[in-house]
Amino acid sequence: MKSEKNRNTTEQKKKSRLLDKTGKRLISEMKPLRGWIILSAFICLLLIGCAVAEPELLGSLVNRLYEWTASRTPGLARSLLPGLAVLFGIYTLHSALSYGNSFLLNNIVSRFFCAGFRIRLSEKLRRLPVSYMDKTPTGEIIDRMMDDVSDMADSIYGIVEILLSGFLRMTVIAVILFVTDWRMAIPVVLLSPLSVLLSAKMATMGEKHWDKHFDLGGELTSLAEEAYTNYPATKAFGREEYMQKKYDELSLRHQRSGIFGNFLSSVVQPVIAFADSLAYIAVTVLGGWLIIRRGVPIGTVVTVILFARRFSEPLENIAFGLSYIQHVKSAARRVFALLDLPEESDPSGTVGFQVSGHVELRHVDFSYDPEKPLIKDLNIDVKPGQKVAIVGPTGAGKTTVVNLLMRFYDVCSGQILIDGRDTGELSRSENRRLYSMVLQDTWLFKGTVAENVAYGNPSATREEIENACTSAFCDHFIRRLPQGYDTVISEDSAAVSSGQKQLLTIARALLADRPLLILDEATSNVDTRTELLLQKAMDRLTGGRTCFIIAHRLSTIVNADLILVLKDGRIVEQGTHRSLLGQKGFYYELFRSQYAI
Amino acid sequence: MRKLLSFLKPYRGRIALATLLMAVSAVCDLMLPTLMAGVLDKGVYGAAEADTFGYILKTAGTMLGISLVSLISVGLGYWVVYHVISGYTWSLRSALFRKVHTMTLEEVGRIGTSNLVTRSTHDVGTLNWIVSMLCGNIIIIPLMFAGGVFLCMRKDIRLSLVILCAVPLLIAVVMLMSKKIDRLWEISDEYCDRQNDLVRERLRGIRVIRAFDREKQAHEKVSGATRVMADNIIRANISMAIVDPLAAFVLNTAALLIVFLGGVRMERGSGLTPGDVFAMVQYISIILGAIVSVSFAIVMLPHVRVAARRLRQVTDSTGLEDGRPAAGTVFSGSIDLDDVGFTYPGSSLPALSNVDMHIKAGEWVSVIGGTGSGKTTLADLLIAFRFPTEGAVRFDGHDSRELPPADVRSNVSCSLQKSMLYAGTVAENLRIGNPGATDEELWQALELAQIADFVRDQPAGLDFKLEQAAVNISGGQKQRLSIARAILKDAPIYIFDDSFSALDFITEAKVRRAINEKLTGKTRIVITQRVVSAMHSDRIFVLSDGQLVGSGSHSQLLENCPVYREIYLSQTGGDVS
Repeated sequence: MKSEKNRNTTEQKKKSRLLDKTGKRLISEMKPLRGWIILSAFICLLLIGCAVAEPELLGSLVNRLYEWTASRTPGLARSLLPGLAVLFGIYTLHSALSYGNSFLLNNIVSRFFCAGFRIRLSEKLRRLPVSYMDKTPTGEIIDRMMDDVSDMADSIYGIVEILLSGFLRMTVIAVILFVTDWRMAIPVVLLSPLSVLLSAKMATMGEKHWDKHFDLGGELTSLAEEAYTNYPATKAFGREEYMQKKYDELSLRHQRSGIFGNFLSSVVQPVIAFADSLAYIAVTVLGGWLIIRRGVPIGTVVTVILFARRFSEPLENIAFGLSYIQHVKSAARRVFALLDLPEESDPSGTVGFQVSGHVELRHVDFSYDPEKPLIKDLNIDVKPGQKVAIVGPTGAGKTTVVNLLMRFYDVCSGQILIDGRDTGELSRSENRRLYSMVLQDTWLFKGTVAENVAYGNPSATREEIENACTSAFCDHFIRRLPQGYDTVISEDSAAVSSGQKQLLTIARALLADRPLLILDEATSNVDTRTELLLQKAMDRLTGGRTCFIIAHRLSTIVNADLILVLKDGRIVEQGTHRSLLGQKGFYYELFRSQYAI
Repeated sequence: MRKLLSFLKPYRGRIALATLLMAVSAVCDLMLPTLMAGVLDKGVYGAAEADTFGYILKTAGTMLGISLVSLISVGLGYWVVYHVISGYTWSLRSALFRKVHTMTLEEVGRIGTSNLVTRSTHDVGTLNWIVSMLCGNIIIIPLMFAGGVFLCMRKDIRLSLVILCAVPLLIAVVMLMSKKIDRLWEISDEYCDRQNDLVRERLRGIRVIRAFDREKQAHEKVSGATRVMADNIIRANISMAIVDPLAAFVLNTAALLIVFLGGVRMERGSGLTPGDVFAMVQYISIILGAIVSVSFAIVMLPHVRVAARRLRQVTDSTGLEDGRPAAGTVFSGSIDLDDVGFTYPGSSLPALSNVDMHIKAGEWVSVIGGTGSGKTTLADLLIAFRFPTEGAVRFDGHDSRELPPADVRSNVSCSLQKSMLYAGTVAENLRIGNPGATDEELWQALELAQIADFVRDQPAGLDFKLEQAAVNISGGQKQRLSIARAILKDAPIYIFDDSFSALDFITEAKVRRAINEKLTGKTRIVITQRVVSAMHSDRIFVLSDGQLVGSGSHSQLLENCPVYREIYLSQTGGDVS
């Protein structure tokens, strides 16, 4: 119940001070929640009050029983009633308060802290460059938003439960113990910390076993994943036993590595209980002696015994909390790191004129990795309305050109101009608003067909949407869907084939109606009939616009106004299909290998 | 559940031992208050006696001994328990893994790969956890309960009734709560998934979202989901938070009842001492502690039930392959498909129908067709992953259904549509195809597949490590390694299922040439969507919507097969030669 959602993690713990930079920042992030945390602290104080009052009262009741054995006056049960009633009240209050505190803490943690951070992270994503998303696995970003945030929220429980409920409570009880009877207090106060030390020691001992266990667990999961994915290959090559052996061996190592860690975690509690018993025994001996020799009332001994139990209760939480702090901090560190990432610069220039569609790349250099220059001195001049096909082998930098035009990435040097205006001065969204894009990797979000088609033009009427779909040859199949235009589809929805998804993205681009167009032609996974439709739809889309087409289809290449042959980030040849074939150069070779008979 | 627990059978003895150890420890824990009560009582009644202090010291010694016994026995108990659990989990995982590898392709597909992974990791983990809770913590509760009741009964039968009623009442309350909480957790998990999906969708579509300037809306959608998720997590957590205070309330009230009734009984002269009453109050707090420490386990029970049900789906699966061992038959390489039809279970339309195809030994043929034409189904039939629902596939005249699948597979070497490489070195991967291959043979296969240069460029060479799913190499490199692996296996029949799709045309031409040289005389079947991959082969079969619509050489088909011509035209943009 400690963490927002229970989760096992492997965490390399570094020895570091409690209040390092991350720790301080974590606390300063809690400032807005000050009021709530103070309220929770107040409830904790009341709870401590209950915890203190209860053994006192119970002790006095037991004492009353002993007194009775001496006097044997009637009316014992009746005389107990007022005390019992008060105790009942205290128990009720205690349960109610501790429930109230859970209620409060849960709201602080989940609603204010976790949700607050998640929304900030989501906001942050808006301003991060595409390069970050490209470099970082999606799962990692999601982990930070979800698990890391909830782990770091445990610090609030830490403050309230460890500092307040834990230390404060122990201090108060220790004081009361000394006031009640200092002689019996000594063994209780001395022996209990012993158990903390022991359990802390055991926790650190267990750590490296856990780390190993979790690492092996990760490997085992990967192996299972691989084995089940590659199942056909394993069968085809008859290597089932080989895989089984590999899996069994790893699984055995994984299990063995878990035994000791599990054992240690489980015996922490009995060890604490043993230290408790030592205190208990010491109090018994001392108490017995004090009763006989010093005439200390039995009630006092009973009270001390009850307090001794209360004293050690928070210890386990404290021991766990202290060992957990490093884990919380490393989660916080990851979240802060994401929040602190440099954001994409964004100039504020607007276009403010009717774009005719003249696009020019001047001396553009670009690389993803400074070590490996990719695009070198690229010069392209595209006249308004021209259709430019970009061809070349894989890795030549075709997609990179799209990234640069859309300013998903910034050029390292050189300029991209639209109608003579340097796009580096334009705000990114202004720049992007000039283009429609149809990518090979279709992306549809979970929503109705109509919403998806209207994505680039949210104010479009239903009629406009239907017109766009008719032009993109998807109207007929949309109408055959269960709810027509209101059918909910998503990326992996099986109701729509991959070719049909592509048609929808064309409709989306048509409806967005931008002066420039980028097209990454889809090639595979489309049946012949849909392919013909796609071709026609794309022709409609390209009509009259300046187009950049990553070309896979010969028809595109043949009809393009300009073909750029890209190889290793350079334009090695350019011209029309006919002129390039005539050169008998790289294009000719590429073309021959593809289609020569 | 019973079947899954049956994996514990070999450990029966050790479990009994662990239970015994735990029981010893539980009894010891309960004895302490009794002994202490004795001391207190003695302090009052025996103050006058001379040896009272001696008695106290003696009792303290006993208490110390008992505490030690408790610690040691619980420690040993856990030690045994974790060895048992470790063995149990291992054998469960091993059995699952083995089971999956005896299933048919269909069954694996039906359950789904990611489901199978979840079952052998997460679900086994849940079971492991509950069994360790059962053997380690939960088993203590009935022991403590029984012990506590027994000790109370010895003092005063009527008073023991309080404990006898309070504990089951408490357990009932916790169980009742757990039902409600379970539903709440389910809902909150659902919202958690929804939030995950939204973020994933957003990250995947980052280019489109930015291109259409819709980041603001995407952000608002995510933060809306975040708020809903927070609401639901809070609701679930708060319901769960009621368990502990409620448990404490029930047992504390029981303690008060004991004090009051204890007073009443003492007054009536039942021989009950104040020490006894005090001891009983402490039993309650010990039992409460034990129950609270496992209350979250009770809350988890529905999850365990779900995990067990999912595991049973695998262990009880009947979709198994014919497991006969290979007889060692060597095929000549001639394959006959006699009017083959195949319909997927649950599907109304056949994936293949009336496919009549006769391939001579040593022939090089291609099968071409678009998505959904039935190509991959055909490949599955040839590797005995599936069997025709009509007609028959015959190797040297033997019906594939009658041959042990292991025999078919040892005669067919294939490079599958998805490259399916394993985490490990290049050498290990290649030797999947032929465990006995020498390094020289490996290099030769790499050369043929046009990937030797790449491997040579790696500092580790053949020991270059591929990561899981070979994410550290490109799609084309994966395909070429998969081709190399297939060539390395010596078989009369080779199938290349869409194996060239990620290669550029120049490389593909080289690979094709090299393979044909090396594999002359072997039956080669190239399955593809690309005309260039097919057009040079001896014979081309054209599949469309599960039907064989043409066969012959490239030029023959261009002339008399409209589907082939259509494919050709769409891929080449017209006759441009």
